[in-house]
Amino acid sequence: MTVFVDLYTDADTFLHRLDPRVKIVAVVLLSLLALIIGNLVHLLVLLAFVLLLLALGRATLSKTVFALKFVFRIMVMIVVLWPIFDPSGTPVLAELGPVKITEPAIWKGVAMAVRVCCLATVWYILMFTTSQRDLVRGLVKLGLRFDFGLALAIALRFIPTFGVTVESITDAQRARGLELDKGAPLRRSKNYVAVLVPTIVSALRTADMLSLALQSRAYGARPDRTYLRDLKMRWTDALALAVVVTIFAIPAIAKYLLDASL
Amino acid sequence: MIPSTAQVMPRPGKMVSVRDLKFTYEGGVEALRGVNLDIHEGEMLAIVGGNGSGKTTFAKILNGLLRPPSGSVVVDGKNASSMTVAELAKTVGYAFQNPDHQLFSSTVEDEVRFGPRNLGYPEAEVARMAGQAMDAMRLGAIRGLPPLSLRLSDRRRISIASVIAMDPKVLILDEPTTGLDAAETKNLMESVSMLNREGRTIVLITHDMRLVAEYAHRVVVMSNGRVLLDSDVSGAFSDLALLRQSSLEPPPVTLLAHGLSDHGIPKDIISPQELALRLLMLRGERQ
Repeated sequence: MTVFVDLYTDADTFLHRLDPRVKIVAVVLLSLLALIIGNLVHLLVLLAFVLLLLALGRATLSKTVFALKFVFRIMVMIVVLWPIFDPSGTPVLAELGPVKITEPAIWKGVAMAVRVCCLATVWYILMFTTSQRDLVRGLVKLGLRFDFGLALAIALRFIPTFGVTVESITDAQRARGLELDKGAPLRRSKNYVAVLVPTIVSALRTADMLSLALQSRAYGARPDRTYLRDLKMRWTDALALAVVVTIFAIPAIAKYLLDASL
Repeated sequence: MIPSTAQVMPRPGKMVSVRDLKFTYEGGVEALRGVNLDIHEGEMLAIVGGNGSGKTTFAKILNGLLRPPSGSVVVDGKNASSMTVAELAKTVGYAFQNPDHQLFSSTVEDEVRFGPRNLGYPEAEVARMAGQAMDAMRLGAIRGLPPLSLRLSDRRRISIASVIAMDPKVLILDEPTTGLDAAETKNLMESVSMLNREGRTIVLITHDMRLVAEYAHRVVVMSNGRVLLDSDVSGAFSDLALLRQSSLEPPPVTLLAHGLSDHGIPKDIISPQELALRLLMLRGERQ
């Protein structure tokens, strides 16, 4: 089992220095863009742009591959399944009973896979270059309630810890002769009870201690909060925001106001 | 490695024999860098060493949870690398440091039965094995209670009972006394000693040098993935520099003996009774 690692990598790049609010807005806009355009070539251009940003954020190859492994499986599924379920267009390349494979459907499947890849990769830019603390600070500044932001930060912070706990629990039960992948499906899901219960108990115990720790540091003592490091938009942030808005606005206007096909 | 000196225990057969064992975790941490060690049948062996010295990795290899890329591990005459964790569980029992990582049943009795059930014993045999294990760990009075609501010392007894219920020849205890008070520690260790006297081989992984001094027959000091010292208990405690090199501190009575060594007290004292005796003898000599 691979323990989940924090996706954030500490570095000093343009993307790392960018205001987290700008990054959040940019990622949302670029995701919307990936949904607006459907043309394969345009989607590939967008993907290239996103990958360029990823490279500018000094994402290492191994980390990118690790992150994209999950997306890649979904992409393969889309490429295979799309032509089977979409019989539209000509020329028809093959016909087998009710299943009709057409050339446009194949290209559409590829375009959809690229779109999914764009959607996932663009969020990796945010995750790779924004520390969890900055991410939450950005969300709170954008209007998220602070308690929700804190809960999110804690949840993200505890993912790796939790991974280690699950691994240790699995080991402890295997040492008692438990074979997780043995037996029929029903029996197998029953096996997981031995891992699930200690995991939940350990999570509840952690949550309990955490809430005590928060209270003992006077969390919630004052309704209004002050911040040690406040976020400030600099001119580079404004410029980056302007660039992203433009990149988003041109295709959006072309599609919805000028009825261009994208 | 310093060759072992006098042994307290007789040495019948080798229960575990490890040769040139190396292990590197994913991510490049070298946990073991060539370990050679024999564990003899019926002994109580303490493996000590600072955090990150490789103790737990070593234990996890003995029961198959980790697979060594190189070196040989022979457990009870069989090659451990060709056995599954479940098969090895019949020979090597491993009680984890945190009992809460294995407790999940609604009663103590069910919890203890889980192991032998997994190994496929018939239900009557499961009941017998669980009953024996609960007797050994003195759980009879609480057998119907939910394990997770009990106090830590009870949860630890249950976790040990749930491992010995599978009747392993070797029992590995990882930091069994962390978080227990003096009385609870004494109680637990008395049960463990009893298991050892009945012939079970015990491997005690610990930081607690007083525990080692009081209960172990032999000490293996690990540091940086290697066996630094393999000796009887008093021998291990006489080399202060070596212990400190492995982030260990001998028990206070041994430190006192070291301090008094200029006055004729030997450095390898490990119990207060022994020190008292030596002091009395010294007084007799002077008079």
